[in-house]
Amino acid sequence: MAPSPNDTVVLLSSDHQRFVVEKNIINKSIVIKNIIEELNGAADSDDPQDLEGEQIEIPVGNVRSSVMTKIIEWCKHHRNTTFPDDDFDEPNKSTPIDDWDKKFLEVDQDMLYEIILAANYLNIQPLLDAGCKVVAEMIKGKGVVEIRNTFNIVNDFSPEEEEAIRKENEWAEDR
Amino acid sequence: MKRQLDLTWSNIEPNLQTILGSNFNNAQSPKLHMETYTAVYNFCLRMSLTTNQSPSSFNSLILGYDQVIFQLYTNVRDYLAEYVNNLQIQPDENFLQFYVRTWSRFNIGSAYLNHIFDYLNRYWLTKQKTDYANDISDINTLCLVQWRDYMFNPNSRVLIDEILNQIELQRNNHYIDTSILSKAISSMVLLGINNNTTLSLYIDCFESVFLERTAKFYDNESNDYLKHHNVIDYMKKAESRINEEISRLFYLDDHTKPLLIETLDKSLIKKHAEELYIEFDNLLATNDNENVHRMYTLLKRVPDTLTVLANLFQNYVKREGLKEVLNIKNNSATTGNGPVNAKLYVKVLIKVYLKYKSIVREAFEDYHTFTKALDESCRDYINFNSIASPRVNFNNTGNLGNLGNSKTPEYLAKYADMLLKKKNKESDITNNMSEDDIMIIFTFLNDKDAFEIHYRKLLAKRLIYGTSSNLEAEESLITRLQRENSIEYTSKMTKMFQDMKASENLKNEFFDKVTKIPNKDEIIKDFNPYILSETMWPFKPYKYNFKLPEELEPTHDLLESLYTMKHSGRFVKWIWNLCRGEVKANLSRSGKPPFMLTMSLFQMSIILPFNKKPTYTFKELLDITELPSEQLAGNITPFVTLRLLNQSPPNAINPDTKFTVVKEYRSKRMRVNFAANIRIEQKQEEEDTAKEISDDRRLFLKACIVRIMKARKTLKHVTLLTEVINQSHSRFNAQPNDIKKCIDDLIERAYLKRQDGNNDVYEYLA
Repeated sequence: MAPSPNDTVVLLSSDHQRFVVEKNIINKSIVIKNIIEELNGAADSDDPQDLEGEQIEIPVGNVRSSVMTKIIEWCKHHRNTTFPDDDFDEPNKSTPIDDWDKKFLEVDQDMLYEIILAANYLNIQPLLDAGCKVVAEMIKGKGVVEIRNTFNIVNDFSPEEEEAIRKENEWAEDR
Repeated sequence: MKRQLDLTWSNIEPNLQTILGSNFNNAQSPKLHMETYTAVYNFCLRMSLTTNQSPSSFNSLILGYDQVIFQLYTNVRDYLAEYVNNLQIQPDENFLQFYVRTWSRFNIGSAYLNHIFDYLNRYWLTKQKTDYANDISDINTLCLVQWRDYMFNPNSRVLIDEILNQIELQRNNHYIDTSILSKAISSMVLLGINNNTTLSLYIDCFESVFLERTAKFYDNESNDYLKHHNVIDYMKKAESRINEEISRLFYLDDHTKPLLIETLDKSLIKKHAEELYIEFDNLLATNDNENVHRMYTLLKRVPDTLTVLANLFQNYVKREGLKEVLNIKNNSATTGNGPVNAKLYVKVLIKVYLKYKSIVREAFEDYHTFTKALDESCRDYINFNSIASPRVNFNNTGNLGNLGNSKTPEYLAKYADMLLKKKNKESDITNNMSEDDIMIIFTFLNDKDAFEIHYRKLLAKRLIYGTSSNLEAEESLITRLQRENSIEYTSKMTKMFQDMKASENLKNEFFDKVTKIPNKDEIIKDFNPYILSETMWPFKPYKYNFKLPEELEPTHDLLESLYTMKHSGRFVKWIWNLCRGEVKANLSRSGKPPFMLTMSLFQMSIILPFNKKPTYTFKELLDITELPSEQLAGNITPFVTLRLLNQSPPNAINPDTKFTVVKEYRSKRMRVNFAANIRIEQKQEEEDTAKEISDDRRLFLKACIVRIMKARKTLKHVTLLTEVINQSHSRFNAQPNDIKKCIDDLIERAYLKRQDGNNDVYEYLA
């Protein structure tokens, strides 16, 4: 049951891989969705250009093929999910991460960051939220040193600076 | 950083031209789009990363980042301004066409551009909006702002002028391309961006001028048209103009719809309402219902003008009603038929009502203002016209003030009497008369109480003389009156019917008893006694002397004793003057059957003595009957005129006048009615009725006042008057003067008093 070329687009990853994907799957990305809609709009307008047979190719220069695979996998899984619209519904930031998403994002840190970046780049808000929540949970409940270890951060504050910042944020400390 | 911006900008700028201006190549556009988007994205991302890498001065660095992005934003803004400024009008197009062509493309382009700068919109802008004033907007809005400032504002006068010229061409029946208009006008709606009322630009720049031009156009046209055409043509023209304009609405914003319609209504209708009014009477007079309806439909658009039309209608119907009534009055005067026939009169009232009721339905769609106008006018001409109030001059159509008592209730009661009375078989007098007629007129009567009294009088006669044609019809009409007015209104009439039934029972009881008594030969075998409650029936007790003929005495005594025995404490008063009977007269030629003579009881008492001797003087008869002489004279006259008695000398009657019974009576009929021709008391009766009405009213008003005051304790004079008038409305129109008299009377009798130091207020005294 291969979808017809009219219902698909080709995404070109930075390493020149072609990904054929259904329009109504990839339209979770607002950026791609806009492009598809523009083309439809142009097709409807006074100046029709023949779209038949021509596969739309969209270069996605900032995403590697391995990440692209993950992105498309996520979009496929969520093809029938309707996410609350940020503009209308106050998004519940404390909603726990969807179980499937959690499993999906159990990847090494580099991949996680790349997925987050790609979600940001392609404007896939629910995926971006999920990614950020995973990172947030990595921070949650950890001390300064633990956090530095988790994220490989070198402490570049001088003791004075550190003291100043600690004082500034005294109110937030858990005693 | 500046360097990176310049680099990015030089990558982006060539694409912008493609996005905003040129024809899209679809195969290329996704690539172009994505690449440009990515360039913007990467630039923004890189800028945020570089600022984060220098942590020394946190806040100022964020500002640095914002400033860089702002520079990019400024580049776009300047680019757009220049782009719009450089748009070129082509030699074969006018400004409107140029505007719409470039706008259509620009509008699409600005949506694309907005997507290209999606990342900017998403992050930087949201922050700017919360941090700073809103002269920074998303890229799409920026496009519109630049278009407004560099294209629309400098050229709005030319543009709007061309739009309005196109509309005027269309109004003058030229073909125009409405899609261009539609696009140009909708652009003004889209360009209303900065204020809270998004339509302000459309309204200020276009709508106001449009409406002004529209008003001017139709002011001129309608004035001119009316100079050369009649009102009917004008109405058709206005109708079609309004329809045209409404069909034009699709290319205007919805906001304009009510305003355009208001403008049209003002120019085409309101300003010419007077001219339409002038034609109205003519249309009614020529029964041109179609155009009456047309006028109504037009004026309905401006409700104020409809009120005037309804007034005109009301006056017209009233005049017609008065005219028709005057016609039949004059006709019957010239043919010498004396007083106007009740049927003729009621039928004329109905005719006018029905005619204009159908006009109200067909031409005025039963619109409430007109139903009300019709009711008002009917109330006017039905209660007050040359027949109902013969002493008033109706040529003056103004307010006639208090017109006194109307005769219409009396006529209507007579009409009902004609309908319900037994009649000769061959007579078609009740043809096309109906209960419905009575009910129609009844609803319009001011003096419903007067109708009740007249009606009850005639009903009483029908009942006791047995002249009612159909008891079911009688009861049905009373039920309808009751439903229309109140149970109270018909209570007396209902009681009258009960009395009739009780009398029937009494009669049966009486005859049962007669069979058991010894000397029953003295008792009359066949008669109808009527026992009537005094206050329900419109009969005055008999005040004069009278001696019952001895032939009737045993029957009378037996009946009276039977009744008083049954109802102890009740007192029977005999209304001798209403009694009638039949007498068998053996005065026929030999071999013929005897005559049956119908006569009043008084006549009976006069004629029975002639069984003993053939001649009596007037004085002798006075002694026998004990009647007052005018009663005796009145009752004896029919015998003389119908030649049962001979009077000598004839003409004037004095105590010595002799009356002799004929030996052989001649008449074509075997039954002769002498009672019908008694002419006394008629005038008296009319006066009694008038007095009865005013007595009843005073009683009603007093009861009303006491009831109101009991509930309210203290009340101002004016309020009391209003309430009393309202409460008596279903019976009659109460006059303030009468109410005042009643109040004074009640004060005298200590039901009310005036408040101390405040003469205007009454207090209720328990």
